[in-house]
Amino acid sequence: MATTLEEQHLRAPSAEEQRLRAQQRRETQRRWFWRIAGYVTVLGVWELVSGWVLAESLLPGPTRIVRTFPEIVNSGRFFLSFGATLTRIGIGFGLAFIGGAVVGMLAQSRWFSNFFRDAVTIGLTSPGLIWALMGLVIWGFKPQGWIFAIFLATFAIVTVNVAEGIRALPKDLLDMAKAFGTPTLRRQREIVIPHLAPYLFTALRFGFSNGWKITVLTEVFSSNKGIGFEMRVSSQLFQLDVFFTWVLSFFVFALILEKLILQKAERRFFRWREDVSVA
Amino acid sequence: MAKIAVRDLRKEFGVGDERVVALENVNLHVEGHVFVSVVGPSGCGKSTLLNILSGIETPSSGTVEITQDEEDAHPGYVFQSSRLLPWRTVMDNLLFVQRNPSSKEARERCQRYLDMVHLGDKGDKYPGELSGGMQQRVGIARAFCIEPDVLFMDEPFSHLDAITARSLRRQLHEMWVETKKTVLFVTHDVGEAVELSNRIMVFAQGGRLIDDITVDLPFPRDPSQDEVAVAKAHVLRKFEELDLVAT
Ligand SMILES: Nc1ncnc2c1ncn2[C@@H]1O[C@H](COP(=O)(O)OP(=O)(O)OP(=O)(O)O)[C@@H](O)[C@H]1O
Ligand SMILES: [Mg+2]
Repeated sequence: MATTLEEQHLRAPSAEEQRLRAQQRRETQRRWFWRIAGYVTVLGVWELVSGWVLAESLLPGPTRIVRTFPEIVNSGRFFLSFGATLTRIGIGFGLAFIGGAVVGMLAQSRWFSNFFRDAVTIGLTSPGLIWALMGLVIWGFKPQGWIFAIFLATFAIVTVNVAEGIRALPKDLLDMAKAFGTPTLRRQREIVIPHLAPYLFTALRFGFSNGWKITVLTEVFSSNKGIGFEMRVSSQLFQLDVFFTWVLSFFVFALILEKLILQKAERRFFRWREDVSVA
Repeated sequence: MAKIAVRDLRKEFGVGDERVVALENVNLHVEGHVFVSVVGPSGCGKSTLLNILSGIETPSSGTVEITQDEEDAHPGYVFQSSRLLPWRTVMDNLLFVQRNPSSKEARERCQRYLDMVHLGDKGDKYPGELSGGMQQRVGIARAFCIEPDVLFMDEPFSHLDAITARSLRRQLHEMWVETKKTVLFVTHDVGEAVELSNRIMVFAQGGRLIDDITVDLPFPRDPSQDEVAVAKAHVLRKFEELDLVAT
């Protein structure tokens, strides 16, 4: 029997569909409930501890921070410092990303990979603090110091991911392109790069979160601007409300970056995969 | 007109003791509007032959030549698995192999061959959204849409269920009649070979070409016809004589 399209559209969702949809909605509501409940609890405990267990000057509560935040923004230091820190990550991690991608691709060659395997292991296991100190000792407050530290702390992550992607290159697709006589440039653009994209994305995420940590660290040591610097100054001056405001802004910023920007971008970028899982 | 010429072809893989001879002393000549099936037991070098002819592998010795009107030509190739780019839509997969993908003619040509395999409305889909049989049809459209005079197919229907395979065989035969291509078709299935081809080349273990059978029956052939059944039995008997079945 033939059903026309209109009929299908007009047809009310079946009881089963409605039940499933309601269940999904409940699930989402529950998740959000617990998330918010978690935040309320942490902030509540913090507010209580501040003033009751520890002196307010030692541990300023959330209400205090909400009042301090606009002061910092109004002083202009907020955007200045975040701008400075982000610029550093941009430069340091940008260089590491390019360098790591190149070395990762060269990892196809045998002697190269044998040498770099050890270097990469060291890079992955060493705490960034080592590079930050080294940079400080050698270059002091000069930009080379923090570039060096950020570069070394993130370079290995990129290399490892790209090398892994290269090792898993889809030979069947490359052979197909070869049989059809597809030009090399198109092969790179349409096969190699889309294949590497998820590996590069992983590198970007992990590299960036590591870059964050090390950048703030270098600023604590060897800088006169950036959010790490602000944290150091405020803690030295014992302005703990200012200090905590910076720390909290840092948390919120990292969360926004991860949830809103990187996850959205990833979803958009890998649309073909979502379609696959839906089909 | 298209021509495939292979002289004294030999191919071995690996080095030292691990060496495997995939093809040995293969000579063949195929020309014009013919459908040639290549049959033989697993591991006898059928895929290797197509891979060398299409330039994916290089011969250890000997020469191969694929020409279209006396000029070197790229063949169309249908693989055992569809080998589509999962991150590109069906249409973009066809455009990928075009000489000039951004031209209007290329797009129209791709659309025409998608229509021919009855997937004209699936151009915007990703391969992962299609069934296995549909993906294989896209693979066939891709091989046809560069309009090569020579077409290689490596067990293109072996992953599919019997009904889908049968309808695709029929489509393939119609397209072969319509487009007058030279086809080299690898298969395990003697019935399929008899149904589709003018010539059946038999390979044996060790990559030797040991027989070249001409099948002189009118098309279209149906497995239920007596003549087709007889021809199939004949080829199978030859297999037994050549001692291929025991392996
Ligand atoms: N890249 C390779 N490296 C090493 N050995 C290979 C390679 N490709 C094929 N061989 C070997 O060459 C021989 C022929 O392989 P081929 O794939 O051509 O066989 P086939 O006739 O297509 O078999 P099937 O019917 O199972 O597909 C086999 O012994 C195989 O192991
Ligand atoms: Mg094979």
